[in-house]
Amino acid sequence: MAKPRSTTAAASIFLGPATCVVLIMLVSPLALLARYSLDKFDPSELMIEAVTSANYARFFTEAFYYQVMRTTIGVAALVTFLCLLLGLPLAYRLARTTSRWKSAWMLLVILPLFIGSTIRTVGWMILFAKSGMMDTLAATFFRSHVDLMYTPAAVVIGTLSVNLPFMVITLQSVFEGIDTRLEEAAQGLGATPGRAFWRVIWPLSLPGIGIAAILSFILGMNAYATPVLLGGPRFQMMAPLLFWEFNTNSNWPFSAALAFILMATTLLLTTLANSIIPLRYRA
Amino acid sequence: MRDNILSPRLKRRTVLAGAGLLAAPSLIRPAMADEQIILGTWGGDYQRLQMENIEMPLVRKLGIETVPDIGDELPRAAKIRASRRLPRGQMDVACVQAVQAYALAEEGLLEELTPDKVPNLAHVQAGLSTPTFVPHIWSPQIISYNPERVKEPPTSFGDLLDAKYNGKVGFPDPNFFYVMMAAGLFGSGSASDFDKAKEIALKLNSNGLRLYPSTDAGGPPFKTGELDVGVMWLARIAMWQNAGIPVAAAFPKEGCILYVSGMCVPKNAPNKAAAFKYLNAMLDPSAQLGFAQNMGYLPTVTNAPLTGKVAQQLALPSPAPKLVVPDFAVTSKALPDIADWWKKSIQHT
Repeated sequence: MAKPRSTTAAASIFLGPATCVVLIMLVSPLALLARYSLDKFDPSELMIEAVTSANYARFFTEAFYYQVMRTTIGVAALVTFLCLLLGLPLAYRLARTTSRWKSAWMLLVILPLFIGSTIRTVGWMILFAKSGMMDTLAATFFRSHVDLMYTPAAVVIGTLSVNLPFMVITLQSVFEGIDTRLEEAAQGLGATPGRAFWRVIWPLSLPGIGIAAILSFILGMNAYATPVLLGGPRFQMMAPLLFWEFNTNSNWPFSAALAFILMATTLLLTTLANSIIPLRYRA
Repeated sequence: MRDNILSPRLKRRTVLAGAGLLAAPSLIRPAMADEQIILGTWGGDYQRLQMENIEMPLVRKLGIETVPDIGDELPRAAKIRASRRLPRGQMDVACVQAVQAYALAEEGLLEELTPDKVPNLAHVQAGLSTPTFVPHIWSPQIISYNPERVKEPPTSFGDLLDAKYNGKVGFPDPNFFYVMMAAGLFGSGSASDFDKAKEIALKLNSNGLRLYPSTDAGGPPFKTGELDVGVMWLARIAMWQNAGIPVAAAFPKEGCILYVSGMCVPKNAPNKAAAFKYLNAMLDPSAQLGFAQNMGYLPTVTNAPLTGKVAQQLALPSPAPKLVVPDFAVTSKALPDIADWWKKSIQHT
């Protein structure tokens, strides 16, 4: 069996460097972070080597951290829901259009990704600020004031604008992969377009929709610049809190524990979502 | 039919020769400075002004070139701490605030700085430097107010608690620790009395205190009418005035906490001799005046008197206000607890 052995060796040669890069660049920092999360914090020594669960216990015993996690999950879930609501019809239309402008529409969707999310957030700040564009327009046409800066609504809108292109791109490729003849067959058998979508396209696209939703949810859970700039200091989410502990308090052990708790919560919720949705449809 | 994509006049060899000539300058090594130092610094205007006022006119003449390592102060301090056991550190000069420099010195991580090493230290104003820290800029913390809306300027931190300012008091959140020191100074006469400061901060918060995520974000609310009064560095007031924001400074009668920022040299700096030369250039009167004119921070040396508009904007009132240098031994230890309390009791309510 010389051939399979040589194939395995060749595959190892090709996969080896990539595996090494992943191990060095991803697994090693995580392992280091895991070790730090078990250390003790001291204001003058910073980290004292130890094996303690105190950093994790602190998170689970103080209501403040629980509330911050609840806010983070709430924002991520709401943004994901809104992304689905707005992104689904847009992606479906883009996938099914035969217009010669299709590439242009796609470019318009992707265009915001050409600019960093922080820079885009600065644009939202100009729109939302007191005496900003929205406030001025509202004062001119409705004689009222709109002051969205440093509100939860501003954070949701800002995060939505960051996540929506990812959702649309993912869903568009999912719909592209579903044969249009299936819809035509359903309609040929008497189904209305809506019913054909619901009974044929929706179940087929569900795994892809799940992936798009998970992508949006993960991005929402880890949002940093948008909550800081649009939510202000009083709006607490996990990523800014983690950075505060690292940057302002220099409490590396606790911020490492927060990072793992955030990662574990995100992983748990996405796994749950992934397992629940297909079951519902199988029934 | 064309058998050559190049025109008859433009032969392949000509194109290659031209391309070679165009690429040649990139292959020629540029003139290098004799020495390099790694400068851990903030980015933005501060780093630009360092380049314009310290490096280009003074340090380059000494054959020294800086390699900026741009970042926030705490990650910079963390780098110094993380590389404490290495024989060669990652930085020659680190820009830090006095509070952080004190903490690093307490941990034995900083090189001692004397006039033998940095001759211009002889001109530094008394009380601003420590044995391991050279002050670069300083500014008193004052009460900021909108002179168009506040006809009677505040005279004390206590005025911020006046009910007429409910919902109209605010400041940038990153300055919280200095505001807490100002509250303690007003409450009991001690900038280190954080128990008293907490009481005052809670009352201020219940009156509708406004917090902004960055220092820059603290200026425009005076223009939009969102803020009437606040707490800020005198230097920022000058910058905001220059930007057309209606804001003025009032010096609290109980005293002004001093913001002091400067530079230090880690014990394991790879090129200490060049680092000392950089610090000396930083204290040169021309460099100090450049920062005062462009950033509004006061010179830390006695031989750089201000003149003209900047002197008017940054003038301290007469009689001179009480200037309070924080007790760094207390503040560096109290910071983590106060930061935690601030996050949970002020920001989150």
